[in-house]
Amino acid sequence: MHDLFQRLISLPWDQAPQWFFLFPALLMLLAAAAAVMLRNLIHCALCLTLSFIALGVLFIALGAEFVGFVQLLVYVGAVTMLILFAILLTPASEVAASNNPFRSFQLSKALNAVAGGAVAMLVLAGLLAAIFFSPHAQAAVNPAKAATAPAAAIGENLLNHTLLPLQGTAILLTAALIGAALLAKEDKRS
Amino acid sequence: MNLPGSGILKGMAVTAVNFIGSFLDRAHAKRLITEQYPEERPTLVETSRSFPFLVFDGDPEKGIRCTACKICEKECPPQCIFIVKDKDANGKPILRPQIFDIDISVCMGCQICVEVCPFESIRMDNIYEVSAYDRFETLVLHKEQLLKSNVYYRQIHPTEAAQTDARIEAARVKKAAAAKAAAEKAAAAKAAAAAKAAETQPEPTA
Amino acid sequence: MHFLENLPLATKKFILDLVKGACGWLCTKLGIALPPWAMPLLLTLVSILVVIVAIIAVYMVMFALMSVAERKILARMQNRYGPNRAGWFGILQPVADGIKMLTKEDLVPRGADKIVHFLAPIAMVAPALMLPAIIPYGTGMVPVELSAGILYFFALGAGTELAVFMAGWSSNNKYSVMGAMRAIAQMISYELPLVMSAVIAALVAGTLSPTGIVEAQGGYSLGFIPNWFVFTPWGFVACLLFYIGALAESNRCPFDLPEGESELVAGHLTEYSGFKYAIFFMAEYVGMFAINGLLVTLFLGGYKAPCPFLEWIPSWCWFFAKLALLAFSMVWVRATLPRFRIDQMMQFAWKFMLPMSFAALIAAAVWYYAGRGPLAWGLSALIVGIPYLALGHFCFTRHHTADNRRYLYSE
Ligand code: SF4
Ligand code: SF4
Repeated sequence: MHDLFQRLISLPWDQAPQWFFLFPALLMLLAAAAAVMLRNLIHCALCLTLSFIALGVLFIALGAEFVGFVQLLVYVGAVTMLILFAILLTPASEVAASNNPFRSFQLSKALNAVAGGAVAMLVLAGLLAAIFFSPHAQAAVNPAKAATAPAAAIGENLLNHTLLPLQGTAILLTAALIGAALLAKEDKRS
Repeated sequence: MNLPGSGILKGMAVTAVNFIGSFLDRAHAKRLITEQYPEERPTLVETSRSFPFLVFDGDPEKGIRCTACKICEKECPPQCIFIVKDKDANGKPILRPQIFDIDISVCMGCQICVEVCPFESIRMDNIYEVSAYDRFETLVLHKEQLLKSNVYYRQIHPTEAAQTDARIEAARVKKAAAAKAAAEKAAAAKAAAAAKAAETQPEPTA
Repeated sequence: MHFLENLPLATKKFILDLVKGACGWLCTKLGIALPPWAMPLLLTLVSILVVIVAIIAVYMVMFALMSVAERKILARMQNRYGPNRAGWFGILQPVADGIKMLTKEDLVPRGADKIVHFLAPIAMVAPALMLPAIIPYGTGMVPVELSAGILYFFALGAGTELAVFMAGWSSNNKYSVMGAMRAIAQMISYELPLVMSAVIAALVAGTLSPTGIVEAQGGYSLGFIPNWFVFTPWGFVACLLFYIGALAESNRCPFDLPEGESELVAGHLTEYSGFKYAIFFMAEYVGMFAINGLLVTLFLGGYKAPCPFLEWIPSWCWFFAKLALLAFSMVWVRATLPRFRIDQMMQFAWKFMLPMSFAALIAAAVWYYAGRGPLAWGLSALIVGIPYLALGHFCFTRHHTADNRRYLYSE
């Protein structure tokens, strides 16, 4: 008993915080898998939210506080709400009919799975390529630099180095907003 | 032109005056007029009513006015009165209730039973603390609980009781007069018969 | 008074010393050799735990006091007594309420989604209890010092919406879903002006850290007026906007449509009873205190004293005094204003609050770059004053109604 306690306490517990990131990471993966596999759409959306939250926690655990909080604010606060509302406002029958765009091709289930997997792999490969070959990758990998990047540095970057893309995004979003308003108006009149 | 938002400020001022005033108004003249119920009891107005009760004169057994005519039982809108006529030793019904129950958890205090009773025997009570733990047993009032004396009735509803008493008295006087008249008539008839007999009796002999 | 000022921190240090001593004594007694990193790790954990317990205890006490004080104050404003039966002047009312809540049956509707129905109160209370972590309660008394503290607050606030949705949807009840829809519509609409007005304070202070914002409001102009943001034209407007947004976010009157008793039974809380209901209730109040604490931090000078000669009173007392004042004002508003209609609520958010928050942003920028003098004052007052009058006059004043109305029978 005494020995056991001594051995237990002599384990390298001070290394534990380094492994903490495993919890949100695993949670995120599990929740994402559940979001794909559950039957009830609302449950799927809630699981997706859980994986968003876990991702935010992961960012925070890795020292990127600002990004983590923005992730929570935008994805949990806004994106999830949009998804949930979209599900809620869509009649259930339409969801069942439209959730598989390949249905008309009469593809078998296995083929479906292969096609879906291939698309997922492609997207993943694209993302990985973008991350590893981007010019910022080396700078971001440097932990010393990443840890000392508070909100001010992000703002500095956004408004100095990437001002043009930012403005482009703003125009795009405004256009989308106006388009949505127009669509809604059309709908009302007919 | 009013400044936008000034209405909210006016409203806030009203509630603030109420708030501060409630501490200043020690006499509870205008504010904090809530009655503190178990300590302070309400003084009921004479016409207040809750549930019916049965009136008796003098003795609860003999003086019960109800004749078990069941009119009230038929008229009660929520059907909460239950009456069984009494029987004597030979099984002959007598004009007195053996069972008279009112379920006051159902009674709505409409006073219809009082209006329809031809014998002035059911009246409205003004009790209000009737809550109980068992709603099936304790809230069905039996004859024993329903019977209350006319003296009590006079206490709770003096005006109404006086009117009722006057009516009963008038009826009694009328009845007595009728009885007297009938007795006189009977006596007169008897006398007449006797006279006639006396008159006719001698005839054969005559 | 130095002693009182340091009391909370000294208590924490005392507890830590106690734990340290007890642990050392236990180890020598049992003959266990501790690795060198063990003690600091343990002390860190204990200090975190102490802070968590302290925060939860303080907020629970405030919740209990508020639940009885609110009813007493509300009653006084409506010429009633309020609760005065349980204990001395009704002070034990929260205890009675707690016992009532705990002993009530916990009903779950048959058609409900059991798991989500169970998780919703947890999803509600967890972020609510995490909100108070970044608020500076006194000099050097921040539970967690975050450089992006304001962002943390709003990021967690987003979790509340999710919990409300979960509660409403899982109850499988139309009133619940309607209440949840209203709550989410309201929260999303009012989060915008709320965040905007917080951003204004953060911009002028030049930091997202709550402590930094409080420190930026230190000092006095003219020797006696504190440099709180609320005493500038833009700050006054932003403070009011934040206050209104806080009312809406914590679902308090006049923004209590999600739970409007007269329309929706109890909104998303309809199918909750017993302890789960109590948890929702508690989360709402803790959230209210937290958002009021943020309001104090952003605009009312946080833990700073209002005048130089009152600085001997401990800083944390000032914080809680301001918090109490805000809580009282929320009850006052509740006693005064009737509930909004849903379209009025939406119009108010989008047609008044949002434009006003942009105006305040511009006014703050002008004030910042015009040198904070009388000129800056005048300019920024104009920039917020003109939109206020215009919006109030053209959008929110009803012309020709009261005069033209004819009462046929009521005169
Ligand atoms: S008062 Fe009305 S409801 Fe009650 S017993 Fe009489 S008739 Fe029935
Ligand atoms: S209370 Fe009156 S109406 Fe009812 S049974 Fe008796 S005598 Fe008849």
